Amino acid sequence: MSVIKIFEGRERHIQQKGDDCLPLSCNNDSLAGVVSQRACVYSGARVVLNPLTDALHLVHGPIGCAAYTWDIRGAASSGSDLYRNSFSTDMKELDVVFGGERKLAAALRELADRFHPQAIFVYSTCIVGIIGDDLETICKKAAMELGIPVVPVKSEGFRGNKTDGYKAACNALLELIGTCDYTPKSYYSVNLLGEYNVAGDVWHVRPLFEEMGIDVVATLTGDSRVADIQRAHTAKLNLVQCSGSMTYLAKKMEEKYGIPYRRISFFGLQDMASALRTTAEFFDSQDLKEKAEQIILRETARVMPQIECHRARVSGKKAAIYMGGAAKAVSLVRAFQELGMDVVIIGTQTGDRDDYQKIAYIVKDGTLIIDDANPLELKELLLKQSADLLVAGVKERFLAYKLGIAFCDFNHDRTINFEGFQGMVNFAREVDVTINSPVWQLRVKRQSPINSRSDLTMNTGVEDAIQEPCQG
Amino acid sequence: MPSKNLARVNPCSMCMPMGCVLVFRGIESCMTLFHGSQGCSTYMRLYLAHHFREPVDIASSALSEKGAVYGGAANLKQGLRNVILGYRPKAIGIATTCLAETIGDDVPQIVREFQAEEPLARDVTFIPVSTPSYAASHEVGYRVALKNLVQTMVRKSKPSGRINILVGSIISPEDVRYLKKLLDGWGFGYILLPDISETFDAPLNEHLPRIPAGGTPLDDIRDLASSKATVTIGGVVQEPGAGDFLEKEFEIPHRPLPLPIGLDLCDRLAASLEELTGDPMPEYYERERGRLLDTMVDAHKVVAEARTAVFGDTEMVLGITRLMTELGMRPQIIATGAANRAFAEAALQMVPASRIITGADFSEIAEEIMARDIELMVGPFTGRQTAKKTKIPLLRVGHPNHDRFGASHQLLLGYEGSMHLVECLANALIESKEKGYA
Repeated sequence: MSVIKIFEGRERHIQQKGDDCLPLSCNNDSLAGVVSQRACVYSGARVVLNPLTDALHLVHGPIGCAAYTWDIRGAASSGSDLYRNSFSTDMKELDVVFGGERKLAAALRELADRFHPQAIFVYSTCIVGIIGDDLETICKKAAMELGIPVVPVKSEGFRGNKTDGYKAACNALLELIGTCDYTPKSYYSVNLLGEYNVAGDVWHVRPLFEEMGIDVVATLTGDSRVADIQRAHTAKLNLVQCSGSMTYLAKKMEEKYGIPYRRISFFGLQDMASALRTTAEFFDSQDLKEKAEQIILRETARVMPQIECHRARVSGKKAAIYMGGAAKAVSLVRAFQELGMDVVIIGTQTGDRDDYQKIAYIVKDGTLIIDDANPLELKELLLKQSADLLVAGVKERFLAYKLGIAFCDFNHDRTINFEGFQGMVNFAREVDVTINSPVWQLRVKRQSPINSRSDLTMNTGVEDAIQEPCQG
Repeated sequence: MPSKNLARVNPCSMCMPMGCVLVFRGIESCMTLFHGSQGCSTYMRLYLAHHFREPVDIASSALSEKGAVYGGAANLKQGLRNVILGYRPKAIGIATTCLAETIGDDVPQIVREFQAEEPLARDVTFIPVSTPSYAASHEVGYRVALKNLVQTMVRKSKPSGRINILVGSIISPEDVRYLKKLLDGWGFGYILLPDISETFDAPLNEHLPRIPAGGTPLDDIRDLASSKATVTIGGVVQEPGAGDFLEKEFEIPHRPLPLPIGLDLCDRLAASLEELTGDPMPEYYERERGRLLDTMVDAHKVVAEARTAVFGDTEMVLGITRLMTELGMRPQIIATGAANRAFAEAALQMVPASRIITGADFSEIAEEIMARDIELMVGPFTGRQTAKKTKIPLLRVGHPNHDRFGASHQLLLGYEGSMHLVECLANALIESKEKGYA
């Protein structure tokens, strides 16, 4: 039995935990016409590679693909800001008819001369896949001529979904990895994979590893430079956070360089603590284990009073999660447990069967699980489950607001750091501020002395006493 | 002067399908579907949601590799069917993307087949528009969508005596509301198209409809050929569009006018409407005009000789530039992202000494700004990096504006909008001077 019925062919993508039914249908093409929240192959590639700060990201295609992805992600940099520019070959009708190869070759020369990048990524778009420009050869020639890596990214928009874009990006990274020598500063060395330094996240995480005496060789790709990527093969362990985008790379690095990997997350107190413990256990060092415990104890004690205060104001509320990747969604479930909140809806754009099994395992009975949602389904589910809060990205934000539901941006364009111990305080505050805002108590219909009207508030029914806000 | 560089660095324009959405969303009960890969609709939804702070639903035919090889007819038909099932629209605007165009799908033919095969399609109006992203900018996409819409829908019937008011450029919901108020006050019958005043700026209600309420009624669009005249507001430097079509096919006289920004251009709109209706402009707007003039006189010394850079969509840039010259300001750089010769000629006529760039990107605009001792930038938020780098204040006007509130409520048109703009220009210059002294 389907939970809600809007579109034929979507029934098996929505499930309620507790129903004994077939596994959730996932990881397939989006249905035409239903307004999927997913993007394309190119978007997946762009998400993964763009945070590389001193690389030049050239989009080979019409202007739109470059315009809509110009500086839209909150990945922060401690150095170069080259990655915050938008570069495009701006293909026109003639390029489509006669091929864009010459224009691309000339553009590479021109841009290298103007911007002196450490490396250039050349993204192919839909049109390039159709007209068949030979990016590989052009990039190879340009690399020889310009003396820097020029790496093609096979990201034609229609050749699969976002996950294929992640893979294209990982393949591009593999071309850079192992091309520079480096001796890690410590016996203990790691890479952080699938960490994009949104809102400066990594600056709250990296110091913890360094405090334990671990050299973080490279972050892939948040706040990293081309040189960091090139020496990533010298680390002893890969810690994979965004598993959807980077597990493929981790496996390839294991094959090629013998570097094992562990899945971790830096979001939420439990997950952050277990990331440090996992690392210490991997190196099997008593010293590291002790240091990890010291850090966990100290940091937890530091942030707990603030988190407790927010927890008191949000516990018992119902949260809905709709994320691009499953790893973030899973981490969020645990974080909401830490805040005493119930997850009533959870969904992702790109989760696979393993991801959904894991999700189904950790959520409570009655939780709705949805794959590749669309606005009409999200709206139905949010109302059906009486969610108090939606955690998602900008496209979903205004849907929540129109429904009178609080919202927390957990996507790449958020501006508040959520990772590490301090990040959890920020997250708790964000959730508190939006759920307990007085705007939800305002009347949607004015009370008129001459007309009888309903006095619905936006958050229908819930009339909480206003509490004193948390300090600090 | 067109751009000298091969590669675009930080674009000052968008692609054709973007313009279509701004037309289709201004039609009653209309959904937009992009025939192409899923990313096009998602990216543009994101872009528009940032600007308007509204949910933006754009469907996609979600073409995959199979569709690209064997043609996208099956996907397009399934997409249309799902849009009808999910959203129950009265009309669907179908814009192509570079992918659909290059694989050579004949969209009008696919739509005819769909209408013949699908009972659900019987009461739905389909508006196919060819908008390969590589052909031109979002402004051209807007114009082509408006023209196709009119071509597809108009039917000749008995004269209504109304006046068609076509919105020829992208303006804000607040601008549209202002125009409607002005026209209502004048008291003549009109059809305004497209009307995004409610659809892109919906009030918060207890029920959220699947398609936002508002937009130009479909019956009115069908009736455009019965009107006695057409005025295109913001349609001077574009190629012939919907208004020209109505003139050619149905002999309805067409007047392309600039966007009414600044005293002179507002007066031109007023004069045109007086000529067409025979009725004088309502007294209320005469007083408003007087207040604009009063504000311009009050501000003239503060803004005098200010060296500015104006960039963005063609008609809006020209309107703002005109207002600046009326105030004694000195626009130094007048730039637009699209290739448009008529724009360059019009700008040259207004400010012969300025640097005029068509097909501009922000790397060029930045270079010119640094060479010309500019005091104020005026244009979309996409100029923010340049503003930061050059430490020149940016007054955000027009589309897109992702990083400040108020894009939907920004009024630039008419005497009132011009008055706000004068005040914003003056305040921006004052604030900048204050910061300098600090």
